[in-house]
Amino acid sequence: MNKKPCLLRGNPSLLLVLGAGFVMASSTDVRAALGMGIAVLLTLFFSSIVISAVRNIIPEKGKLPCYVLIITGFVSLICMLMEAYYPDIVKMLGVHLAALAVSAVAFRDADEVAGQNGEWHSIKTAFVTGIFFTAIMFVCALIREILGNATICGKPIEFLQNYKISFLAQVFGAYVVLAIVIAIIKKIFKTKCKEEEDK
Amino acid sequence: MDMIKTLALCLAIIIIFGAAMVGLNIHTSKVIADREAALLAGKELLYDSADAQSSQLVDVGANVVTIYKLSEGGFEIVTTASSTYSQSPMQITTVVDGEGKISDIKLENYTDSIDFRSKDANYISTYIGKDSALAEVGLVAGCTYSSTAFKDSVSEALAALISNNLITAGKKSDEQILTELIDSVAIGFAKTEQIESDDADIKKIIKAENDTGFAFIISNADVQYLAVVNAMGVCKVYDTEARDVTSEQSAICDKAVAYAAKAQKSYDADLQKKVEAVMEGAAEITPVKADTFNSVVSVCSFKVNNESYTALYSKSLGYDIMDVYVIIDSKGAIVKFSAKEFIFHEEYFATFGGMNTSEYQNGFTGKTAETFTGDEAIIATATMTSNAVKQSVKDAFESFSKISGGENNE
Repeated sequence: MNKKPCLLRGNPSLLLVLGAGFVMASSTDVRAALGMGIAVLLTLFFSSIVISAVRNIIPEKGKLPCYVLIITGFVSLICMLMEAYYPDIVKMLGVHLAALAVSAVAFRDADEVAGQNGEWHSIKTAFVTGIFFTAIMFVCALIREILGNATICGKPIEFLQNYKISFLAQVFGAYVVLAIVIAIIKKIFKTKCKEEEDK
Repeated sequence: MDMIKTLALCLAIIIIFGAAMVGLNIHTSKVIADREAALLAGKELLYDSADAQSSQLVDVGANVVTIYKLSEGGFEIVTTASSTYSQSPMQITTVVDGEGKISDIKLENYTDSIDFRSKDANYISTYIGKDSALAEVGLVAGCTYSSTAFKDSVSEALAALISNNLITAGKKSDEQILTELIDSVAIGFAKTEQIESDDADIKKIIKAENDTGFAFIISNADVQYLAVVNAMGVCKVYDTEARDVTSEQSAICDKAVAYAAKAQKSYDADLQKKVEAVMEGAAEITPVKADTFNSVVSVCSFKVNNESYTALYSKSLGYDIMDVYVIIDSKGAIVKFSAKEFIFHEEYFATFGGMNTSEYQNGFTGKTAETFTGDEAIIATATMTSNAVKQSVKDAFESFSKISGGENNE
């Protein structure tokens, strides 16, 4: 039986490992996490549409340079838009936003999903992947910002000021939060994806 | 064929995205220009460091870049700040309302080795609502240099407005005035930290991490005083006008000395051991109390073949806290100079070319307070250590001068 690829194949636990750098760099502040999440979502969404549309005319050996150009092109356009409309978030994300152009998350999606499936499935997968990535970044940022910095969107939470778990705001804390979130996500989606693929 | 197809595809992608970027850039550049224009709207430029000559403002500090008057009232001042660890200067934008209170602060381009916001995410927000007195605004432990640079820069911004009568100066509390006095009356107190007091009269206890002494804010009949006690147990008391009131406030002095005696580490034994090790035949080694509040933590006098000498132990702050020993003869010339360690964590400094320690130490021999220039202390590529050694030797001469004047000898 030909198995239908799971829509949750953009499994967040796998995504998180690939995008660990982004999660750690962008999850100190909820606004930065949302900004990065939306940038990832838009990059995946648009690059999936284009890559799946042109997948049949790209020679096998030419896939990598074409994918690179398409992804970096969309990342550049998204960066330009964000710089114009959300300069504060661009400042927070710094070089990490532009580094999205070489993100393994985007390449994995381009190569394994959009490069081998039709437009509709690619768009659905890109959308689901992007939404999960954004949601997980948001959750990590929420935990780290509230518990580590006692702030929310940069605004101090007065009653938590004396109960900060400062290490959560550091890189080590990012790893810990990431590991916990990966474990929970893995548990939730492991069975769900298996069921969907077996259908 | 595949190669040509790939190249053609790549070229097509580049052309399409290039055209899209050009089109988008036309749109976004307008948005960005409009935003910048909106930011500048409602602002009147009062001072620009690039064209300081044409400004009407006077006494504007060197770190002030621009001062704008805001149409809705208040001022926006952009300043820079650098600490020892800054890779490039910080840029600080301080917004002050018409009453002289800080309403907003933004920190940009902060590239120190440790970001003080990572140690205390709310540090910058402690400035909001404060006037030029910056009451209750402290420093960030572990990031003392950069948080000091930040605080000084904000103070400089406010001082520029005060000196031009654009805002009125904030009133400092007595405790704040006395705390700020510590830097000038106890110059050897480095990396100070506040410790809790269980005595209701002792409002604040500040310990020098280099063990040079303690400072106390003590109240007596509702009046606050600053008491400083050096590592040798000598105390001085100052009032808010920075007057020495030690003789009138002996009760405060006694309280401060009693506390310091319990908490202060004595370096007399260390110094005695050092003297015995480096001065053969040293006899009559006697601790001496120096009435100085510099980096000297212990002093002793001794004799070798009936010649009198004074040994001084200084703990100045360089890359780390240094232990410097200086032995001076009765004529005021250095006869021995050494340190426990000159270069800390040598392995971390790729540029450090090593040093000939004995040659370096001999460079101090024979120097007096008058002939010591400070150049003797220079160690190539180790600026912080060089400055610390220079400070230690200067402090040793200062303490020696006080002692040889016959004051405070035991």
